[in-house]
Amino acid sequence: MTGKEKKAARRVLFVWLVFLAAVFVAPILVVLLNSFKGQFYITDEPFRLPTAETFVGLTNYAAGIAKTGFWQAFGYSLFITVCSVGVIVLFTAMTAWYITRVKSRPARIFYYLLVFSMIVPFQMVMFTMSKLANMLGLDNPAGIVFIYLGFGAGLSVFLFSGFVRAIPEEIEEAAMIDGCNPIQMFFLVVFPMLRPTAVTIAILNTMWIWNDYLLPYLVIGNKYKTIPIAVQYLQGGYGSRDMGALMALLVLSIVPIIVFYLTCQKHIIKGVAAGAVKG
Amino acid sequence: MAGITLKNVVKTYGPEATVIPGMDLEIRDKEFLILVGPSGCGKSTTLRMIAGLEEVSSGELYIGDRLVNDVAPKDRDIAMVFQSYALYPHMTVYKNMAFGLELRKTPKEEIDSKVREAAKMLDLERYLDRKPRSLSGGQRQRVALGRAMVRNPEVFLLDEPLSNLDARLRTEMRSQIGELHRRLQTTFVYVTHDQTEAMTMADRIAVLKDGVIQQADTPKKLYNEPCNMFVAGFIGSPQMNFIEARLEKGEGDDWYLNSGALAMQVPPGRFSGERLQKYAGTTIIVGIRPEDVISVDSHRYKESDGLIRGQVQTAEMTGAEVYLTILTSGGSRVMARVSSRIMPQVGDEITLAADGDKLHLFDRETEQAIR
Repeated sequence: MTGKEKKAARRVLFVWLVFLAAVFVAPILVVLLNSFKGQFYITDEPFRLPTAETFVGLTNYAAGIAKTGFWQAFGYSLFITVCSVGVIVLFTAMTAWYITRVKSRPARIFYYLLVFSMIVPFQMVMFTMSKLANMLGLDNPAGIVFIYLGFGAGLSVFLFSGFVRAIPEEIEEAAMIDGCNPIQMFFLVVFPMLRPTAVTIAILNTMWIWNDYLLPYLVIGNKYKTIPIAVQYLQGGYGSRDMGALMALLVLSIVPIIVFYLTCQKHIIKGVAAGAVKG
Repeated sequence: MAGITLKNVVKTYGPEATVIPGMDLEIRDKEFLILVGPSGCGKSTTLRMIAGLEEVSSGELYIGDRLVNDVAPKDRDIAMVFQSYALYPHMTVYKNMAFGLELRKTPKEEIDSKVREAAKMLDLERYLDRKPRSLSGGQRQRVALGRAMVRNPEVFLLDEPLSNLDARLRTEMRSQIGELHRRLQTTFVYVTHDQTEAMTMADRIAVLKDGVIQQADTPKKLYNEPCNMFVAGFIGSPQMNFIEARLEKGEGDDWYLNSGALAMQVPPGRFSGERLQKYAGTTIIVGIRPEDVISVDSHRYKESDGLIRGQVQTAEMTGAEVYLTILTSGGSRVMARVSSRIMPQVGDEITLAADGDKLHLFDRETEQAIR
């Protein structure tokens, strides 16, 4: 390929990527724009920019927050997401370290069991799981954290294991000679080295848990409404729904996750790149 | 400070894999002992058992007077330098060196003074705030040494610490480690497969093969009086020439060696007549180091030296010396290290001499030295 052809190919690729980015960003922009429009204008002209006539300011936001008990739902979502992600990152890192270093048959079987759990669809276990959660008293915001740990463990242990394998055992032996006990070794030596992976896993799990609808709906939906459930409640009876409030709440619900992602994106790229090198 | 004693130490991995079949070794206090041998001979396993990173399957391991078989590595008062440096990548050089002391709850001022003292000794002062990834291989190795030094351990264990460095840096670090040993006056146990490293640094070298110590002695003694063909071949570079020859009795106390490559009288008094008598009329192995195959016009040459005639197969110029491979009329290949003033061409016929005073004889069956 000549220099000219290369340049042309790069331009085509650039245009294609800009198009793709636009396709992905467009729905978010549409939601954002419509959240400032009167609810009747949203259904009539969803893609039009707000005009003096259609612009309603923060009315939709105020209505949405008032109708749904948004701040309480936000609190539940925040609590469940932060606790679940914290527990997943901490415990799966420990598990991955253990099963990678202890080369025993049970450890291997446990690892494959966790990997297998990734391919079991949620729909297959959701009813038995919600019944079991109910029986065990896990049908509350604290209890659901452990259910998320179970669902998040497979992928997280799988990802962590790959990175633990890339850590030379000699570093841990050096720590052992330096005087570390296993707990100190994990927190002072191993876990800091896993930080890029931990951030990647935290981001993946945060996005999933924050946006999850089905699991909290089945387990705690009656008593404790997370944001996705609260948003769903805006859909009233007989198909009536307040589209303005709905759009406003959608914006409010995606803002934290976008901020979180933008803050951590450097780490996720680092983590993915490290994975490519270390295998 | 303490010595190390291994009493019939055995290391097995399951019933079928015995790495160390039973080792007895006494490492004296403040001694620099080097374990040397080919890959898989058990030298690193021995070191790791001393460190407590591998369990001793049976036998007794003492550091000083203390039986340490079941003592955790952190309580053995040892420090170890690894082949891959094993530095903590997320910590600065300072923190890497201070980490062990912090875990032992050493006062901060003491940690600081020890780390700075070690950094000064190893010329690392400028790098204390850097992370290991921004250091060169030699600097990283010095940090690993510093980390071991600040702990002021009874025993230093070094597992092939120079094998990842380039040749120039290796020579530099070799002398630094030697200097460190002289300054610290601590017991050093060092593992390497590089016999040059072993010869230049050790007070004593233990040569291992298949988990068995073949000979543990001073470098000079190992070089001049190897106990068997393995040690003779392993120590010295290029390795010793081995030529099969028939030992024949002459008149009186005279003994002669005869082979297609070499015919000479065994220097009188060099070997015990009684021992030679046992091999009379049989084929034995004659060992001669390449540097003891000399030019006939060398001042070292004596009439009694055996002549080696043959054709030059290869001639490798190394500067002051040239390595010649000679194919003798008997079909043996003999390597010679001679002055580069003699620079024969490949294919030339050449006559060299085996220095009779430097001859080694070995039993062909047991490969043990005949003395």
